[in-house]
Parts: sequence; structure tokens; C-alpha cells
Amino acid sequence: MRRALTIAMREYSSFFRLPLGWVVIALFMCLSAVFFTQRTLVPGNPAEMRDFFGVWWGLLLFVSPAISMRLISDELRSGTIEPMLTSPVGEWTIILGKYIAACCFLVTMMLPTLAFVAVIAWLSQPDFGAIGTGYLGLLMLGMLYLAVGTLASTLTSSQTLAFLGTLFVLLVLDLAPARLAAQAPEPWSSLLFKLSPSIRVADFARGLIDTSTVAFFLLGSFWFIALASVVLQSRRWR
Amino acid sequence: MIQISNVSKVYGRLTAVADVSFDVQPGQVVGLLGPNGAGKTTTIRMITGFLPPSGGRIRVCGHDTIDASIAARRQLGYLPESAPLYPEMRVKDYLSFRAKLFGMRWSDRKKAIIRAGDKCKLLEVMHRRIGHLSKGFRQRVGLASAILHDPPVLILDEPSNGLDPAQIRETRTLIRDLAMNRTVLVSSHILPEVERTCDRVVIIARGRIRADGAPQDLLSRMLRQVPAKHSVELYIETRADPENGNRSELDRIAARLKGLRGVASIAREPIHGEKPEGTGQVAEWVRLALLPEPTHPDLREAIARTLSIHGVLYRELRRQAPTLEQLFMRVIEQDGAPEAAEGGTRA
Repeated sequence: MRRALTIAMREYSSFFRLPLGWVVIALFMCLSAVFFTQRTLVPGNPAEMRDFFGVWWGLLLFVSPAISMRLISDELRSGTIEPMLTSPVGEWTIILGKYIAACCFLVTMMLPTLAFVAVIAWLSQPDFGAIGTGYLGLLMLGMLYLAVGTLASTLTSSQTLAFLGTLFVLLVLDLAPARLAAQAPEPWSSLLFKLSPSIRVADFARGLIDTSTVAFFLLGSFWFIALASVVLQSRRWR
Repeated sequence: MIQISNVSKVYGRLTAVADVSFDVQPGQVVGLLGPNGAGKTTTIRMITGFLPPSGGRIRVCGHDTIDASIAARRQLGYLPESAPLYPEMRVKDYLSFRAKLFGMRWSDRKKAIIRAGDKCKLLEVMHRRIGHLSKGFRQRVGLASAILHDPPVLILDEPSNGLDPAQIRETRTLIRDLAMNRTVLVSSHILPEVERTCDRVVIIARGRIRADGAPQDLLSRMLRQVPAKHSVELYIETRADPENGNRSELDRIAARLKGLRGVASIAREPIHGEKPEGTGQVAEWVRLALLPEPTHPDLREAIARTLSIHGVLYRELRRQAPTLEQLFMRVIEQDGAPEAAEGGTRA
């Protein structure tokens, strides 16, 4: 675990040593500010951030692949994967370290948005519980998306391909169950609804914490990073 | 320290390394020599555990690189080809990161970074970003990261690749210095580097070992098969002499030398930097190259005597011992033309 944290710290700090990290944070904050002033900070609207979280979930579809695209792809492209894999560190440790770094970056990216909460709290009396669960949902969704991105990043040395591949999988993962559920008969319909991350995450914005939803996101994330570890291991055997 | 037994690596129908076996003893500096695409990097990657062999076994300090991969990797310091590093990191941070990956404690880490930095002459650039360093310095950072944990075995893949002559000399000195108390396996296609650095050379071509031994042993073995060329520089009249059947003095001397016992062939060679043939001069310096038969490896005395008898002035008589380069080229030529593409032989 100590080595995973070493890898995570190096990766996390590299986000801020490269322009990419700052660009992602700046874009996220700019778009968030626009939506906040246009949709939430409107006279007469309730003091809640439910709509706002919906916007963020949409933004995560694009921001998560941008965060995860370089995690392993860049190591494969530059050849730094070779000294990494020939040091006494297992593939799982490498993937876990990279994933932790990406999740920490996501949290860092969300921290400035607390200013929006402060503005709402200053103007009104919001339900902090619902806001807290909304943030938890945002984190859970981001973790799942980043796990998908980590897997895509192990499959190619091209960051562009990793970005597009992640975006494609996330769109399928998000849109397909909802679309198919509407047409599928029971019990398939309810099952497909439960497989859609964007439908499941809506509970969080309403202030609900469903343990099955938490398990869905945690197990889903674990499954994707475990798969990424297997893919990285399989590179040795090709 | 390194035992490689019947190791092969196959990619589909392509055999990159075929049945390679050799041991590296403690304290030895072994050069893995071969043209591009010979299988050097694949062999090294299998030793370091980056690639698994398709067949055979590799042990590093007694640890199998597959069954006890992590234990084997702990014993290795590895500098991959072109030293891949993180350009955005500072040298000190990178070395600290590598030391942490090897599980070094804080106090040991600090000492190890200073020791490796000092050894590789990096102390002056410790706080600079790797991306801002010259290629020579980047190579040194790679070397420093390879020796941080003081490994008993050091593996260097083309450490002089892309460096200028001054940097190559510096790297060579550094490798010799690092080899004082370590087992070193260094791959290269730069022959002087291997000749000057290594106790032993393993020549690999098309994925197979073609020669293995100390450079001097290999050269003397080659000398027995291919005798050393003799060259002689004569001051001689080159213009044709009508009174002597239009034969020049050069033709006559060449015929006498050719007639010596043990001379297989004779040919004229250009003298670098001097006036070429046909300048109209009556006499000039001419170089002749004589190739002896294997039964007569040294013809210097016979040549000198013949030239003295005929009163020919000469300024150089040299027996050219084969170089490692000639040995290398001979092995490659025996094996067939060097391959243009990466890879080995078709299985």
C-alpha cells in the first residue's frame, strides 16, 4: 500500500506540473460558474443544488476521461512503464496508485466549488444534508468514470484514443441502460434502470444514501481497476 | 549472478531470441553485442522480468524471474534504452520516488540519493527539471536511479545511445567505475565501448549467440582463422618504363612480394590524405596490402628482407591485428546480412 501511495503522490503532483491539470480545473470551474449563475442563482428558485449536480454529472462525462487518459497511456508512450514494471512493484499496486491519484485530483477539482455552497448559504438557508449527499454522489460517479478511464488508458499508448474510448464507454454505460429499459419488459426494465449510473446517482441529489447504490459504485469501480490491472499484467505476456 | 538457460522468445511466428544460454559470474562486466534487431533488448527485458521468456529459465542471484519475480527485481538495477524518465520531475524528486519504490526508508533514501548523485556527478543539477537537462545528464539520472538501492547486478541497455563522443567517454568511465563492485551486463552496438569496458563479450545475431568469450580470446581465435593483413608503404617510381616492357617499378616489386612464400594476395591501397595515383609524379609513396595464408601469419621479416635486397625505401611495415569490429562484422557476415527490420528469424 505504501508503494501505491508513492505512485499516487507522484502522479497527483504531476497533474499540477503539467498544463493539463490546470486546464481541466479551469474549464470545470468556468463551466460550473456559468451554470451556477444561470440555473441555480436565480431569484425565486429554491436554495438547493439538485439541478446543479445534474449539470456536474454531465460535465464528469468529459472531465473524467481528460483526467484518466494519461494515467497509463503516457507511461506506455514515453517508455517509463519499463523502469516501473522492472522495480519491485506489482501491476495492481501501479494501477491502484494511479487511480488514487486521479480520485484525489477529482476531489481537488471539486473543492473550489464549495464557494458556490457558501454563496447559497449566505443568501439563503439550504439543506446541507442534500448538498452533502449530492457531493458524495458526484464523488461516487467520478470514481466509477475514472476507473473506466484507467482501464481505457492501459489499452493504448495514445492519450487521444484513451480519451475517446473512455467517453464512448461512458456514454454507452450511461445512455444505453436508460434507453433500453424504456422498451424492455419487466423484470429486465427495472434491472437495466439499476445499471445506469446516472439514474442511480440521482438518489444522492435528493439526499438519499442507498447502500446498494454505494455498493454499485464501489464494486463497479473496483471491477474496472481490477480489469485494468489484468490488462497491464497481460502486456508482459504478449 | 545471472543464469540464462535455453531461453527463447517467440512473437507469433517471429523468433526474437532462440535457445540462448549463458551465465554471468559475480564481478564480471559482460557486453552483449549485436546489430539492431539481433535480440539484445529482448534478452535484457527477459532478464529484468519486463518480458517473460517463451521457453527456458532465467535466474538473477538465484531468484527465478518468473516464480520469484519481485525478489529477482530487487537484485537488479536497470537502465532501459534511451533512459525513459518523467521530464516534469526534478532530479532529486525522481530519485526519491525511485528509492521509495524500492522500499528504502527515509534516512537510507537521503544517503542513497546523495551517494548516487555524487557517483553520477548529478549533485549540481539535483534541483533542475529532468526535461531541461541535456541527454548526457538524463542518461546519468537513469544510471543514478539504477544504482540507488545498491544492487549487486546492473543491467544497462545501450547506455551510450544518442550521446556525443565526449558524453560516450564520460558514460564509459562511469560504467567502469560502477562495475568495481558489481556484476554488469551492458548491451551495445558501439564496439569500442564494449571492447574498453567489458571483461567478456557475448555476440548475438538473429536471436542466437554467435560468439562468447574475453575480447582478446575471441580475437586470437579469429587470428587463427583469418591471418592479419600486412601493409607496407613504399617510395617507388610509379610511371611505366618502356625499356622494361612497360612495367613500372611498382609492378615489379609487387610481383616479388606476391612471390614470397605464404602470400595469398596483394593489392594497392590508397593512402589517406596524400596525392592520388596518376598525378604525373615520377615517384611517390604507395601502400600495398598483403594478405597471408593461414600457415604464415607473420610475414613482416620476409617482406622487410625482400625490400632491403631490392633497395626499396619504405616508411611503414605493419601487421594489422584484427579488431573487435572486424570480428563482429565477420560474425554478422557469416550469419547473413544484418536485418533492416526489428526482430529475428522466422520460426
